[in-house]
Amino acid sequence: MNKLLILLIGIFMISSVYALGVTPARTTMDFEPGLSRQVGFEVINSGEQDMKIVLSAQGELAEYIPSTTREAEILSTEKSKSFTYDINLPADMEPGLHTADVHIMQLPSDYSGESQILATVAVVTQIYVYVPYPGKYANAKLFAYNANQGEDVKLVFSVISAGEFDLTSVRANVDIYNKLNEKIDSFNTKEIAVASGTKGEIVYNWKADVSIGEYRAAAVLIYDEGTINLEEIFTVGSKELELQEISVNGFSLGEIAKLEMLVENKWSEPISDAHIETKITNDEGDSVSSFESANYDIGALEKQVFVSYWDTAGVRAGTYDAEVSINYADKASKKNLQFQVEKNSLTVVGLGYVISNADDEGEGNGLVVVLIIAIVFLVLINLLWFLLLRKRLKK
Amino acid sequence: MDNVYKFDMMLVGITLLALLFLVGYVRPLVISPLNDYETSDSEILFSIEKADTLLIDDNYDFTTPREYNIREGLEISLEPGEYYWKAVGILGSEIRMLTIKSNVDLRIRKLGEDSFGVVNGGNVRLNVDVYNGTELVDKIKVDVGEENSANGDKFVGGMDDE
Repeated sequence: MNKLLILLIGIFMISSVYALGVTPARTTMDFEPGLSRQVGFEVINSGEQDMKIVLSAQGELAEYIPSTTREAEILSTEKSKSFTYDINLPADMEPGLHTADVHIMQLPSDYSGESQILATVAVVTQIYVYVPYPGKYANAKLFAYNANQGEDVKLVFSVISAGEFDLTSVRANVDIYNKLNEKIDSFNTKEIAVASGTKGEIVYNWKADVSIGEYRAAAVLIYDEGTINLEEIFTVGSKELELQEISVNGFSLGEIAKLEMLVENKWSEPISDAHIETKITNDEGDSVSSFESANYDIGALEKQVFVSYWDTAGVRAGTYDAEVSINYADKASKKNLQFQVEKNSLTVVGLGYVISNADDEGEGNGLVVVLIIAIVFLVLINLLWFLLLRKRLKK
Repeated sequence: MDNVYKFDMMLVGITLLALLFLVGYVRPLVISPLNDYETSDSEILFSIEKADTLLIDDNYDFTTPREYNIREGLEISLEPGEYYWKAVGILGSEIRMLTIKSNVDLRIRKLGEDSFGVVNGGNVRLNVDVYNGTELVDKIKVDVGEENSANGDKFVGGMDDE
């Protein structure tokens, strides 16, 4: 994503462009009767050019943002410029969300040759004002995190207390259904309290002692004065392709090597249009080669050999880092390996175990050793003194 | 006899001081980012010593933290929002807070006669209203780092609600 952005920005550097930014994109605040507040924002001169801008407020809350409309100038030397506006809220507003947009519009510059593109750009910084509901009121979302068979599926209830008063008791009753819509489990969560205007979370770890597949959590969130129905789909057993083995026969440096990569589908359904991308870099992180396999389909819980071809012309013998990425659907399963390249052999290091950073482990273990030695030393000195030397001195 | 009691006190004092020093020595050394750090850059570089795991969550109780193995040059991409984070090793570090400010960055470039490329260079999904004169002719969504094309002469970009 970042590379794409850099590429696009690079294209912009050589194109005729208008560019304008603002931060923050949104300011949120809780309503207080008669509240007056100054809100700050920064206009970003992304195009690094002299420009004139005009500010104006629009939307429901615009009437409470006086004298916003004004012009300003930003110089090409200024990367950003700070501005403020005042918001004066009334004594009373309807409960819920109220918004306004502050528009920052770049005024078209005078015609100055071919770079003129005759378009106008404006960006918006939003203001969101939340007015609490009378009494007790909750907004809630349910998140369910997929897990492997036998592990815990994490169910998270995110609860916002959007009423005037604190929620003293929030809990949920949850039913789990399989794909055939059969209820397979029911449970209650713990109870929490959520102060007015704040967010609380209920976390429940559900043991996935069930077969691989898709499940539905149907929950009723019960708070002091109401209930909210929530639903979320989750999967047990990850939709995952795993690289198990890379074999290379008849390797000869300088020629095209055929890499056979064995991949296992750990999901209970077929996965189609998967391919493997391999990026090889040297010690300094510079790219040496990059190659892709064709697209393959893999049946449920089956294994498939993906074939990739690596043109080793110009590659020297040595050890290289290789990032092997299995791309499928919108996912990528990556593995970092090492390719030890010799004249007539290619050895793949790192499959079947995790390559760890030995330095990091050493630091952690070293600390534990220092801690243990120091505590043992202190205990021994104290024992020696209080049980032995002290008695002798007393005599 | 007085000397014995003095030595008792001295030994207990030295032991307590040594334990305090050890606790300080093994506690994770959290260098950066500073507490209450604010930025509109989504990539955050963490510098932490004497710890194995970094926990990041959007709530102070760390009920659903994201976990990262700590290594040199650990850079993590975060969406705009407020986060709490701490390092865990033999002992846990203090809890620090950081804020990724949302950032709208709209860029347009001419593609054809009336056609423009609309690029989202910020860190939030954009909702762009496209006008021709004063008439609203299109509404497009542009994901972070992506480019869409549109025909018009005025482009108004703000953070998408979804």
